[in-house]
Amino acid sequence: MNKTILKETRPALPIERKTVNKIRWRENAVAYMFLGPALLILLMFLVIPSIMAVYYAFTDYYLLTPDLRKFIGFDNFIKLFQDPIFLKSLGNTIKFVVLLIPLQIGAALGLALLLNKKRKANAFFKVAYFSPVVMSLVVISVLWMYLLNPNEGMINNILAHFGLSPQPFLTSPKQAIFTIVVVSAWQGAGLQMLIFLAGLQNIPEDVYEAAQLDGMNKWQRFIYITLPLLKPTSVFIFITTLISAFKLLVQPMVMTQGGPVNSTMTVVYYIYQTGFTDRMVGYASSIALLFGTIIGLVTLAQRKLVKEDEDH
Amino acid sequence: MRRKFGPLTILEYTCLALLAVLFIFPLIWMIASSMKPEAEIYNNMNSFKAFLPSLHLAEWFSSYREVLTRFDLLMYIGNSLFYGLCVAVGSVVINGMAGFAFAKLQFSGKKMLFGILLALLIVPFETILISQFTIIHKIGLVDTRLAVILPALAGAFNIYLFRNFFMAIPEEMIESAKLDGANTWQIFWRIMIPMSKPAVATVGTLAFIGSWNDYIWPLMVLTDKSKFPIQVAITAINSTEPVYTNQVMAVLTISTIPLILIYIVAQRYILEGLSGSGTGIK
Repeated sequence: MNKTILKETRPALPIERKTVNKIRWRENAVAYMFLGPALLILLMFLVIPSIMAVYYAFTDYYLLTPDLRKFIGFDNFIKLFQDPIFLKSLGNTIKFVVLLIPLQIGAALGLALLLNKKRKANAFFKVAYFSPVVMSLVVISVLWMYLLNPNEGMINNILAHFGLSPQPFLTSPKQAIFTIVVVSAWQGAGLQMLIFLAGLQNIPEDVYEAAQLDGMNKWQRFIYITLPLLKPTSVFIFITTLISAFKLLVQPMVMTQGGPVNSTMTVVYYIYQTGFTDRMVGYASSIALLFGTIIGLVTLAQRKLVKEDEDH
Repeated sequence: MRRKFGPLTILEYTCLALLAVLFIFPLIWMIASSMKPEAEIYNNMNSFKAFLPSLHLAEWFSSYREVLTRFDLLMYIGNSLFYGLCVAVGSVVINGMAGFAFAKLQFSGKKMLFGILLALLIVPFETILISQFTIIHKIGLVDTRLAVILPALAGAFNIYLFRNFFMAIPEEMIESAKLDGANTWQIFWRIMIPMSKPAVATVGTLAFIGSWNDYIWPLMVLTDKSKFPIQVAITAINSTEPVYTNQVMAVLTISTIPLILIYIVAQRYILEGLSGSGTGIK
């Protein structure tokens, strides 16, 4: 508003221009004072590290000998695709994502549908389903290590009750990744249940009533009303789950240290191991660049999809 | 209509209850096991008693006493509280200020900076862990408390959230405050922040929870045990011989209590923040 007034008076007096510039300058100074702390931190810990990661990816940077660092072109990437542990970690990560998404989202939607009905005890059930969300990843990882202990853990005790033989779970190269999928879905489902529930409760009651009058049965109402109207919620949940699943790290780190025989090594864990434990910053950065690009593209694709959807 | 307790209703409730058991039994077992002697945990494994604390009241807290003498748990909890509070307060102030600038102030480069901000939303933190660490290493902050707090203070998502919230505050309020002689700083603290309590609560609690639960970053930047937050201490305690199950469960329980309290007090804001509502991100 101020601006338009100043603009109108500007041509009349040349002195005014100086005042305008002064005001502009002050406006900028005040605004950047407010932006300053945030910009500085984002620059130092997000922008610069991202740029550095891109640059390091093409060098042989070893953390302890920064002066010997030299440009090596695409050598890291060539090495990457011949590195069996990296390929294994990529495969494990994809396996985790592909298994977790239907399990966790399916469980969350199922729980939400069960609770989407007036019931006195709902508050209690909601708290129960949500309880794993309250625990940190470290806590649930340690807790499940005890529950899943092959010799004296509770889960094998329960299996024995049903006459099933004890399972190795996290100690088996075949079962470890599946175990981590189940534990992760168990922890994540409760939060998404609440988000689904909010989405379900946004669907107006009269839509259902109208459908009932049209003679739709329960199943038809679910397919033709609930699911389409739940789409924005589902897309949001799908994308957030997808992205966070790609970044799996804490559970294997605490529960299996990537083992047995790298069967739970994930890409982010491998970035940590090569870059931090082994201090090969250059090599780790090349993995980070490749993987960051993949996640970035997935996010962008999703934004486009959602936008197009909204335009319709 | 259907009878109140038809077979379907019974089936429904059985289903709900079984699922409730599935989701909550580890938490119950954790708390129960922390309140009984080590041997009892494994003796009870095959019975319902696994989910009950010891029958002797005197034994309920003995594992807590033992683990508190072996490890300086109060120090780790204190560290976590310190990091969490610093990050929560800092996040609100720093991101709030930036969100205010984007929502209500005029400055050159606004469009470009906002574009960059939105682009930053998609940078996955986990992939730049290593280069973040090299920065901390270069500026000499390795093994300092500042290294834990500083990177967590500003976040593109929180700035965006504050900006959207501030946009909804009517321009007239700011104009009338200006006429009363308030400067921009006073407008921010006396109008914007008090009128945005939900945003403040959301960012503050989520920042605290995020900091409390953070594991990998403090593990990387800290070497001195006396600065460890509780999450890092948990894995250290769980691998310090002799390992007693009841003591580990006591540590897990202690570390979860603050979170339970926060979720009870601030559940509304947490859900709003985590579900991305109020931010326009869908």
